[in-house]
Amino acid sequence: MTAPLYIALRFATHRKRALLLSLVGVIFGVGIFICTQAQTQGFAQFFINSTIGSNGALVLKSRFQPRYEELVVPTKNVSALPARRNYFEGIHNVSEIMRVSRQFSNVVACSPVLRGNVSARSGFETTTVELFGIDPASHLRTTDLAKQIIDGKFDDFTNNTTAVILGYRLADQLEVGCGDSIQLLSPGGEYWRFIVGAIARSGVGAIDATRVYAHTRVAQRLLKKSYQASMIIYKLRDPDRAPALAAHFETLFQHTSQSWQEREESTLQLFIMLRLSVAITVSLMILLAGFGIFNVLTMSVLSKVREIAILRSMGYRQVDISAIFLWQGVLIATVGSLIGCFLGALLTWIVSKVPIHIRGLLYTNHFLVVWDWRHYFWATVLAGIAVFIASYVPAKRAALLQPVDTLRGSSF
Amino acid sequence: MKDDISLSCRDLERFLGEEEERVHALRGVSLNVEAGSLHAVVGPSGCGKSTLLYILGLLDVPDAGSVEIGSTLIAGLSDEELARRRNQLIGFIFQFHFLMEDFTAQENVMIPMRRLGQLNDEAMSSRAADLLKAVGLGDKIRRQSRHLSGGEQQRVAIARALANDPQVILADEPTGNLDTNNSQRAFELLSNIVRARDKALLLVTHNRFIADACDWVHEMKDGRIVTSHPHGQRILVS
Repeated sequence: MTAPLYIALRFATHRKRALLLSLVGVIFGVGIFICTQAQTQGFAQFFINSTIGSNGALVLKSRFQPRYEELVVPTKNVSALPARRNYFEGIHNVSEIMRVSRQFSNVVACSPVLRGNVSARSGFETTTVELFGIDPASHLRTTDLAKQIIDGKFDDFTNNTTAVILGYRLADQLEVGCGDSIQLLSPGGEYWRFIVGAIARSGVGAIDATRVYAHTRVAQRLLKKSYQASMIIYKLRDPDRAPALAAHFETLFQHTSQSWQEREESTLQLFIMLRLSVAITVSLMILLAGFGIFNVLTMSVLSKVREIAILRSMGYRQVDISAIFLWQGVLIATVGSLIGCFLGALLTWIVSKVPIHIRGLLYTNHFLVVWDWRHYFWATVLAGIAVFIASYVPAKRAALLQPVDTLRGSSF
Repeated sequence: MKDDISLSCRDLERFLGEEEERVHALRGVSLNVEAGSLHAVVGPSGCGKSTLLYILGLLDVPDAGSVEIGSTLIAGLSDEELARRRNQLIGFIFQFHFLMEDFTAQENVMIPMRRLGQLNDEAMSSRAADLLKAVGLGDKIRRQSRHLSGGEQQRVAIARALANDPQVILADEPTGNLDTNNSQRAFELLSNIVRARDKALLLVTHNRFIADACDWVHEMKDGRIVTSHPHGQRILVS
């Protein structure tokens, strides 16, 4: 153990109340930072998992006509604004696109979906729904639909082409359960009768309130579409790389391609803002703890002026004196962060058990949390920076104290 | 007088304060302190005794003149070098013992050794215990210094000054805060150790009896050594 560290430990333990005060600030700062980040990210992660589990990490949509802008010779009279794309509804070469897509290492699975809006009726209840015509086998590989079933069986849907799967909020609205029938209105004006094979809950309110899954061929007939799919949804190994793959697919297939990040941009921004706001609030708490430590160490320097002078007279260098106070900061930061991390984990666990009834944007019966080592890392780094800044000034001040001034003052 | 000079200074000049408050604290002070000898610096308050002591102890830097410890000329050294030499070559004793209150007597004596870093914990503890025995505190080595009497605390300070076996001991009114009996005991202890271990001692004192018991007495006035005389004599310095 170095001499400054030894003396720092003795100084720190001498002022137990001040040390405890400093530690409490860091412990609570770190603990609350971890807990709040776990919560806010928990809700965001749940939303992301749910939306990717239902709509895929990447969606390929309508074909567009390339503009070949680079071939056009600019003229003075023509407006500089680029011409708009021409889109063509539906995907006609589904098999070929899916075959090529599967060659990409990031693609785990893909599934065609024929999408359309229709009216649904049950008894006296009527509502507009989003019809997803799916191939059950490939859709199962691409999404979490099977896991989302809360009533009925996915096989009952797979084995029966007249069966549909309803979102649970839609089922509640239409007041139907498994085995009941609902009617969907085709664009031609005729009602088609379907049996409710299963009810699913994705956790995302907008999906659960409008989504109806039917077999592709039935949906194609009902929607009177000439093509098999209006979009292809993808499951990716690394969903974070979806934007790059989307851009590549758009160029490659000449179809609109959208990553989940782009699709859910507004909601994600809301979560980021919320998380940032909480992080700033808690960081201010840690900063306040830093001020507390600054005060404690400054008082410590003032009360140890005599000891500093005597240490200097015994051959301790300015850097040794600085180190004594910086080590006290390191001690507070280390012990505070360590206990703070335990407190953070405990608070996170307690919060995850708190019952909460959310039925809007998300569906959950308890607080959602994420266990992520990065929260602990950043909380510790933040505490370390705050404590270092808080310790540096008193340490520097202590080092610059002239021992002669103190000794002379004591002698006469 | 021995020829073996442990500490010397030549023509020291020191100004303190700024502008109107500027004081010429030392005016060409020269001094030689030999190993195994006791030198006392006496004089009225504010005559520059402590300033001289701090410059000789490398805690302050003169505006002119030079300091030599052993055969090493101390000039233009960095804070690190000055600190290293203070740690190795000089032992300080102050009027107000300046012990670390929460440290035991033994831990206080170990502080300079920790900085030197040449001994392990066990060796440092053993040496500190030996030094404390030598100053008559062998039975109080684990007692916190704040629980020791004034005389005992000053004896701990003497042991601490000897911790790294320095060539020179500088004492700033080491008995100034003690009663007559304790003053006498502390000084006797210090003089015995200095002679037995062949150290050079320079002490600043107001105590005439202690000054007279030293080998040399240097009288200071207005920043100058006005007289410098060996034990029992009085020589006017020109």
